[in-house]
Amino acid sequence: MMQISRRSFLQYCTIASASLGLGPAELIKLSQALAESKASSVLWIQGSGCSGCTTSFLNYISPLPPVDAADVLISLNLQYHPTLSGGAGRSVVETINAAENFILIIEGSIPTAFDGHTCISWSDNGQDIPFVQAARTLAAKANQVVAIGTCAAYGGICAMGSNPTQAKGVSEALGIKPINISGCPPHPDWIVGTLLKLFMGETIPLDNEDRPLFIYGQRVCDQCPFHRRGEARSYGVNGLCMEAMNCQGRSTNAPCPTLKWNNGVNWCMAAGSPCLGCTEPTFPSSGPVRGRGRGGQGRGFGRRGA
Amino acid sequence: MPKTIVIDPVTRLEGHLRAEVTVDTMNGENQVADAKIAGTLFRGIEQMLIGRDPWDAAQLTQRICGVCPVPHGVVAATALEKAAGSNIPDNARILRNLVMGANFMQSHILHFYQMSLLDFIKGPQMPPWQPQWKSDQRIKEADSIRLNKHYVTAIKAFRQVNEMTAIFSGRQPHAPALVPGGFTTVPTNEKIDLFRQYSQTVIDFVKNTYLPDVDFVASQFPEYNRIGKGYGNLIAFGAFDLNGSGGKSFFRGGRKMEGNGQTQPLNIDAVSEHVTSSWYENSTSKSHPVRSTTQPVYPKEGAYSWIKAPRYENQAFETGPLARMSINGFYNQGVSVHDRHKARALETLKLAEALPVWLDEINVGSPVYSSYSAPTEAASFAIAEAPRGALGHWIGITNSKIAHYQVLTPTCWNASPQDDDQQPGPMEKALLGTPVQDPDNPIEVLRVIHSFDPCLGCAVHMCRITQR
Repeated sequence: MMQISRRSFLQYCTIASASLGLGPAELIKLSQALAESKASSVLWIQGSGCSGCTTSFLNYISPLPPVDAADVLISLNLQYHPTLSGGAGRSVVETINAAENFILIIEGSIPTAFDGHTCISWSDNGQDIPFVQAARTLAAKANQVVAIGTCAAYGGICAMGSNPTQAKGVSEALGIKPINISGCPPHPDWIVGTLLKLFMGETIPLDNEDRPLFIYGQRVCDQCPFHRRGEARSYGVNGLCMEAMNCQGRSTNAPCPTLKWNNGVNWCMAAGSPCLGCTEPTFPSSGPVRGRGRGGQGRGFGRRGA
Repeated sequence: MPKTIVIDPVTRLEGHLRAEVTVDTMNGENQVADAKIAGTLFRGIEQMLIGRDPWDAAQLTQRICGVCPVPHGVVAATALEKAAGSNIPDNARILRNLVMGANFMQSHILHFYQMSLLDFIKGPQMPPWQPQWKSDQRIKEADSIRLNKHYVTAIKAFRQVNEMTAIFSGRQPHAPALVPGGFTTVPTNEKIDLFRQYSQTVIDFVKNTYLPDVDFVASQFPEYNRIGKGYGNLIAFGAFDLNGSGGKSFFRGGRKMEGNGQTQPLNIDAVSEHVTSSWYENSTSKSHPVRSTTQPVYPKEGAYSWIKAPRYENQAFETGPLARMSINGFYNQGVSVHDRHKARALETLKLAEALPVWLDEINVGSPVYSSYSAPTEAASFAIAEAPRGALGHWIGITNSKIAHYQVLTPTCWNASPQDDDQQPGPMEKALLGTPVQDPDNPIEVLRVIHSFDPCLGCAVHMCRITQR
């Protein structure tokens, strides 16, 4: 691990510059930013969620250095991550309390019922610190807050239906405006790409849902190779348009069809699975997320603006 | 003087866990004299599924756990199929086994390297691996550096197994290809070949890196072949059907009692749940709560966890790879911290070698899905194994909507609090007597806890079981 250097990360940035939209001048800016001792560190905290965003982040892969998530972790000076930190208990709480000049990554939603006691972040001086309190305190100190995953962005799975814990997204729970990297889970490239731009001090243009436009600028349907390529009316048939099977691609913004998932081996619709709309604020809508395969569900059920 | 130490957060696991241990001098050394394990996250996913289309269960319950979503999806789909009395094509059964087997492997690899290893070695000299508890790092510098390199290799192996899974599952985590009625990805020779290539890479990693590393750590810390035993009671529900009739499975279910080497059959009706120590309303505790409502109550006198306490015949059982391997006669050592790691690694190899065999059974060109209709009224359940142990989903359907949904997860068994008979949970029991060198840095406590691979994302649900 010690062998992986910040340099290899920058080398990556050069290679990836086309896809991330970085020009040569910006790359110089990034290398200067990362080399500076004043560069931001990162705190990654988890609220009410499944750790799937972390799993997805660990799936990060690039054809050239840095080869994977380990390299990114080192480059970004990650001070705390609940799934990875070496310490535990008081020692990590001290690290978190002492943090300054950091980007705060929030994974998972923020439960607010029972004064937030359905999700305890840690204990500090004998006091249980509910996640809502930890997130509020740290968000106030952070240079930037990034909400990773649809739970953190909009409440998502943790806030569906009767929502007994009154879970909310970061924006709603804290009354702040984070950058939302939605998705259940988000693609690792979306997480890494956004962090890179932040390190360069770039302004990231956002859409109406506070998501980076460079990621969420296009509808799934408009990029889908199966669009209008014959209609699938049942599961178990691949390579056809699944609009008749409650596919949410028409009302979902994400680059999945061109980016693909897991090192490009597959993605939902190539696997014959209609888009669940997992990057949208309405996910998982009150209507069915999964079509019955009989073509009778209609589309955009329960969606905003659909 | 007894000293009480709170470790909160317990890091390097999924979700939120707090450990409170009392360390006292016994037999001339500091030992854990009392332990309380608390799940400090409650989401209520089952409650939120009520009123939804039954079809959604196979997708939404995967979001219980971002590390082991596949077993949730498979078990939910199976419960729905049982509810409708419908069968799935053989290809679907095989494809589910393949993606679930791979999902076990990625979970086990992540667990040993990213979650457990830093309890034994000096990690990379930078955050987030530092600051690290300094006590008892007896492994030599050169060996630590080698293992640190393997930490990085393991992230690669973890990613590769997820890619391998996604070839068929569509994407990891949260596999879109799992639907009631079968599977959505149509297997092709190209996909099968790619899966096979990945398999070989993983087999090599497990044989040449993972298993030797587990053995090396055991050789450096031989006392952990005795520490962390706990009750010694093991339970498994069984998983990976090897034929369409369900008559033969790769892991059969069963249970073993401490002191009795015999695997005994399982009666799912003997499972009950205790909630006296959990933040839920008490009235249905210690029973088969057929129609009980599970209401969060906070604060509650005497309660300290969001996890319930499942018991079998009112006794505490440990579940997980060690239980599976032992019950099936694939692992014949004892129960300890290292036995858990070793059984998990051996299971990873066993699965890695089984997957290419199952792959050969796929019939390219045959269906993966048979038309499924959810019943309008039904009660059903399915049980299987997740990477961390016994898993069950219970579903009730009324007016074509989900009326009941209950999930019983492995970590409910392992990280459960005291039950109504004052029996500690398996993890609490395993901590008792653990020697602690430095009560301010009780790394030994983390070793015992991590050996169970706790997943609080999974555990902290209403673990109520609704029987038909």
